[in-house]
Amino acid sequence: MRLKHLSLTNFRSYARLESEIPDGILLLKGGNAVGKTSILESLFYCATFSTTLAQQDRHLIRFEAESEDPAVARIVVVYDVEGKERKLEIRLILEGAADVRRFRKEILAEGRKTNAQSAIGQFPAVLFLPHMTEIIDGAPGERRRYLNILLSQSIPGYARALSQYSRAVLQRNALLRTLGERGGDPGQLAYWDELLAAHGAFLTVHRAQAIQTLASLAQSALLRLTDGREILSMRYVPALRTFDETFFQDSASSGAAKEAERIAAISSLIRTNLEADRALDIRRGVSTVGPHRDEMRVMTNAVDVGTYGSRGQVRTTLLALKFAEVDWLKDKTGTIPLLLLDETFSELDASRRRELMRLLNGGGQAIVTTTDLINFSADFLGRQTVWEIRGGIMDKNPERVPMDSNSAAGDALT
Amino acid sequence: MALIPESVQALIDAFSRLPGIGPRTASRLTFFLLKNESDAGEALAEALTKLKSETAFCPECFNIMSAGKERCDICDSNGRDNDVICVVESPMDVIVLEQSGGYFGKYHVLHGALSPIEGINPEDLRMKELFERVEKGGFTEIIVATNPSMEGDATALYIRRKLDRLPIQFSRLARGLPVGGELEYADPNTLLRALSGRQKF
Repeated sequence: MRLKHLSLTNFRSYARLESEIPDGILLLKGGNAVGKTSILESLFYCATFSTTLAQQDRHLIRFEAESEDPAVARIVVVYDVEGKERKLEIRLILEGAADVRRFRKEILAEGRKTNAQSAIGQFPAVLFLPHMTEIIDGAPGERRRYLNILLSQSIPGYARALSQYSRAVLQRNALLRTLGERGGDPGQLAYWDELLAAHGAFLTVHRAQAIQTLASLAQSALLRLTDGREILSMRYVPALRTFDETFFQDSASSGAAKEAERIAAISSLIRTNLEADRALDIRRGVSTVGPHRDEMRVMTNAVDVGTYGSRGQVRTTLLALKFAEVDWLKDKTGTIPLLLLDETFSELDASRRRELMRLLNGGGQAIVTTTDLINFSADFLGRQTVWEIRGGIMDKNPERVPMDSNSAAGDALT
Repeated sequence: MALIPESVQALIDAFSRLPGIGPRTASRLTFFLLKNESDAGEALAEALTKLKSETAFCPECFNIMSAGKERCDICDSNGRDNDVICVVESPMDVIVLEQSGGYFGKYHVLHGALSPIEGINPEDLRMKELFERVEKGGFTEIIVATNPSMEGDATALYIRRKLDRLPIQFSRLARGLPVGGELEYADPNTLLRALSGRQKF
């Protein structure tokens, strides 16, 4: 995939932005709070249709425009896939009088309205933000979110199964609370259990298969980043009793028949688990088994990085995961995803920075933000496009020399 | 200080509570009625009063009917299949199925679908009446025509579980491609459904 044009209207700090995007690697340089990350956010929004940085999607609308009626933020990307030009447009709309503001979004693919579940995966992208280290050392919900975003982009039907599953869990929990408070026939749970089992099995099977592949892809990326010193592995811990990991080990036999067989087996496992926990669930008022409680652990050299890893280790491991995402999406969607790196270089040591530049040079299109150019080698800068952002304006011909060219860090990389 | 007289605001508020009508449309409708010299307002008021007072639910299928009758026209009719029953969520669904001209059996209107989030449980729907009707015998097939949503699916599953032991055939409306549509424009989810529900040809 190759992104050619980005247009933003009333998005975050941008009133208006129209920009051609160069091929290869684009470095966005600028101080803090000038709007570098907003560019990455807008592009990742085209991949996921939900915000990564703001609390809610409606907060992506530029603050100054937010009180208009209607207030509309627009993202338009024009890109090439296999030589075919495509266009994706997103409108975030806030309308109605001040006390009854309503938010909605419209997604248009090739100018035709569509929904997020159908459009997801058309514009594959991978985003690295410094605080994403939470994927490794944060709460389990972060890791489920990571898997969901990746698999929604790459597995047909995953986004739909996820939304159906989440809704079924909400309905089942509401029924559990009713039964707990007012009593009633627990047999009513059976049909929600059935829906949970059917959609949940789809999620579980695809997560299990993905983690296996991602682990091996991330392993080779981490070996390169650490000169072969750190061996990565990953473990899927689904919230299901008597889940048999070996069931997924023979990845050689993939195929649709094998997959259907696995989904059927997991589906009945989820149903048995739900039935066994029925009384407990009614007491607690929540469903305690199923993919909404899944966990995944990341290890290097057999030690859990989330629990025991240093800050630098966590960051490097995350970077390896991100490169695994790129390879995974390339394999599943047949096109190289857009790589979006935010302030990735600043906390890496010189050898890891060098390896990252090498990986970037060998990959597809990428957009990289940085506060200064000090962390990049002159050789690397010579080959890439560098733009400077100042207060929402792009300077496409900035001074290219690192700000402090005779500093030790600068020399180390030339 | 109120800019709008209370009686006008009251009608605006009443309109805004209706589905599909926002505050702006509500104001437009209200001011249209205020300004309009014909009897559009009176006619509307009369129709609204009669809406509730002159309609009732059929005691057999719970579809809407004119008040004072014993049963609705469909339940009363002699020319319909007495061994097939079609279960729907709302009276609107009966109207569209009738308009399709392809169904000649009886109906049962549930008045909603199961949704614990909204506090809608089996006892809030016309479930008990459905089960009694079916258990009385006489039906050979139940067509569950609830909406193709999660709540509609759950409702269908609930009905099947409750009536499973009876020697009756269960069916559910097929999902798939719209007639006259183009394959190219079908969304992937509909297409997936259409594929898995393909028919021998």
